[in-house]
Amino acid sequence: MGRKRTIGCAVLIFVSFLITGCWDRRELQDRNFVLAVAIDRADNSKTVESFVKPHGAKPYQLSLQLLKPAAGSDGKDKSKTYVISNTGDSMFEMVRDMLGQSSKSLWFEHLQVIVISESVLKENGLGEILDFFIRDSEMRSRIKLYITSGKAKEFVEYVPLSKGAGGLHLAEIIRLHTRNIHAAGARTDLGFTTQSLDNNSDIILPRIEIADKVVKVGGAALFNKDIFVGYADEYAIAGRKFVAGTEKSAVVTIPCPDHLDHQVVFELYRHDTTLRPHIEGENLYFTLDINMYGNIGELQGDIERDNTNDSEYIQKLEMAFAEEIKHTVLYGENVFRKQMKVDSINLFGGKVRAYEPDTWARIKDQWHEIYPSTPLIISVNVSIRNTGSHK
Amino acid sequence: MANLERRTHMSALQLGIVIITTCIGAQIMLAPRDFIADTKQGAWLSIIIGGLLFYLAACLMLKLGMQYPHETLVEYVPRLFGRWGGGIVIAWFTMLFFLQIIEIFSGVGRIITFHMFDRTPPEVVILALLIVCTYCALQDWGTILRVQQIMFFIAYSMLGLVWMTSILNVQPENLLPLWPDNLGKVIKGGLSAWPMFSGYECILLLLPMVYKSVGFVKLAKTIGGSFGCLTLFFLLAIIFIIGALTVENAKNVPYPALVLIRSVELPGTFIERLENYMLLAWIPIVFDTLAIMIFFIGQVCMRHYHYQDHRPWVLLFVPIVYVGSVLLLDNQQIYDVVGTFTLWAGLGFSFAVVPLLLLRSLLIKEKAVTGCG
Repeated sequence: MGRKRTIGCAVLIFVSFLITGCWDRRELQDRNFVLAVAIDRADNSKTVESFVKPHGAKPYQLSLQLLKPAAGSDGKDKSKTYVISNTGDSMFEMVRDMLGQSSKSLWFEHLQVIVISESVLKENGLGEILDFFIRDSEMRSRIKLYITSGKAKEFVEYVPLSKGAGGLHLAEIIRLHTRNIHAAGARTDLGFTTQSLDNNSDIILPRIEIADKVVKVGGAALFNKDIFVGYADEYAIAGRKFVAGTEKSAVVTIPCPDHLDHQVVFELYRHDTTLRPHIEGENLYFTLDINMYGNIGELQGDIERDNTNDSEYIQKLEMAFAEEIKHTVLYGENVFRKQMKVDSINLFGGKVRAYEPDTWARIKDQWHEIYPSTPLIISVNVSIRNTGSHK
Repeated sequence: MANLERRTHMSALQLGIVIITTCIGAQIMLAPRDFIADTKQGAWLSIIIGGLLFYLAACLMLKLGMQYPHETLVEYVPRLFGRWGGGIVIAWFTMLFFLQIIEIFSGVGRIITFHMFDRTPPEVVILALLIVCTYCALQDWGTILRVQQIMFFIAYSMLGLVWMTSILNVQPENLLPLWPDNLGKVIKGGLSAWPMFSGYECILLLLPMVYKSVGFVKLAKTIGGSFGCLTLFFLLAIIFIIGALTVENAKNVPYPALVLIRSVELPGTFIERLENYMLLAWIPIVFDTLAIMIFFIGQVCMRHYHYQDHRPWVLLFVPIVYVGSVLLLDNQQIYDVVGTFTLWAGLGFSFAVVPLLLLRSLLIKEKAVTGCG
């Protein structure tokens, strides 16, 4: 009997070890969820949020948007987030020092978006700014990156009209890039940017601006490797997306061929885009074949005169849309190649590397000199499949 | 109910499964970075070359084992190379498993600590895993074989499922140019794929357990199937890593396989951080590799020192394995040196020691036949 009791006690003690759970657990209510990060250039003023350092300047101001765990219970108009900031020269050091402003540990696993101001990029390379976010195991590869010409902190302080969490809202905007021809969203998140940095490729990141409580994503910031060189506008981004074939849907607007004061809109729903390098003797050139299929999305004007049932009129529209797409591509290429000299995400260089490896081995070191003057032969074919729900 | 403890025989297919479960283990996480850094775009070709080379080595082992169908390497090697020579070969064989075990424990400790339990010391992770693996290795072969078979169907299917989600991120152009510019490096890369395929050496220990009615051709075919599966598995792993991350990116991350899965986003689903699911599937796979390797060490020592039971040897090795793993954990330089040494020791065993043993056994047999004549 005594032996059984001893065994029973031993079993109980052993089982109690198994049901203790994780010793290093951190409960949800003990975490501060960081949803968005803003990186600005710090001014020299001494603020209470900063800290004393024995050496080094303090070029960065880091602002974190944190989720209020029980937001919404006090009233519908209250924001679901709040912001804390710090200044310093190491992101990690600033984050750890921010624990002096937070009652809970900062948790980056749900970080959605990083906004970087142009002023920081003028002084520092993108690689050194992002290193902490690339290195830390809490970060995810699909964190969205934005560049702004203004102050990045305004974006983490921004409260969407829906009163939802700002970080989530900002991340959702760029998720729609495949249907928004003006937003550069393909291969621009943290994971892809890390790949570009490792491959020494030029980088493109979406541009975001704020004015009068309106946030807008459009255009892109361009980087020569990781050095910021300038912005490309929405029209140039549309051109680049046609070349890269990263759009899933697009809207192309032209004046009606017969009545120039009226607009006709083509809605793309499928495309087949092929960019290929070719070598002829010592000369390198590219061909771009775009085949697009879509509908008439809008037709302003007299439908009796601009008759979409008339195949000749449709053919005229197809040619006009193809010409407009070609113009868009040429405009984009002018901005990217001639003005900025940026081969974003190694679009053209990557094709040479993949399809003409011997040539790439010879020219890769001079690629930035060769790339702006490499000819591009464009062929666009548009096919209108439907005219919409009306004539 | 079948008595698993008493099981002493297995089929060719079961041997094939054991080879797969022994080979696929921690190295799918630990090996790709260095492997891709060496072989670059030609990594896929190196895997195929490696698969063929190590299948050849496995066939040589099979041929050698078939010369002594009732004995393991431990029994016949001293007859071929003498007491000292045989002792060295057996020590070499044991050391191969031992070095792999401590490398795997050390690597697993680092990965689990970094990605799952960042505040748990890796020593604790190693100790916990070591206890579980030792418990399994203390069982008899029948139980271990059943554990391997269960893991083969459960953990591998889960790992495969999680792995396949990364296809969403694969960009075929990252794999181009398919044909490498430096064929020499690719062939060398085939040899450096040994850590991924290693474990097939268990044939020399397990062959006497395969039913005697199974001939060489059938065994070679079955093991060929195992190597086909292994090659396909590693090929898909490397193709997905390069296709999604690029060679340059994969070179710069410590565990590309984890980063690959970490990059997967399944829109519209509640499933997040897939690398945790991947680790959950990977831990049992590592467990069965480690358990069976510890069991092999126990078996070699038991047979060499003429014991009836392998368990005291397994228990004797536990503190040595723990200390070895922790030593590697603390010093990356030692870890790298041990890795390189193990690679060359493994290649030397497969492509120098085993052919020599086979040659010697054939010569002895021929002499015996000539003598009789």
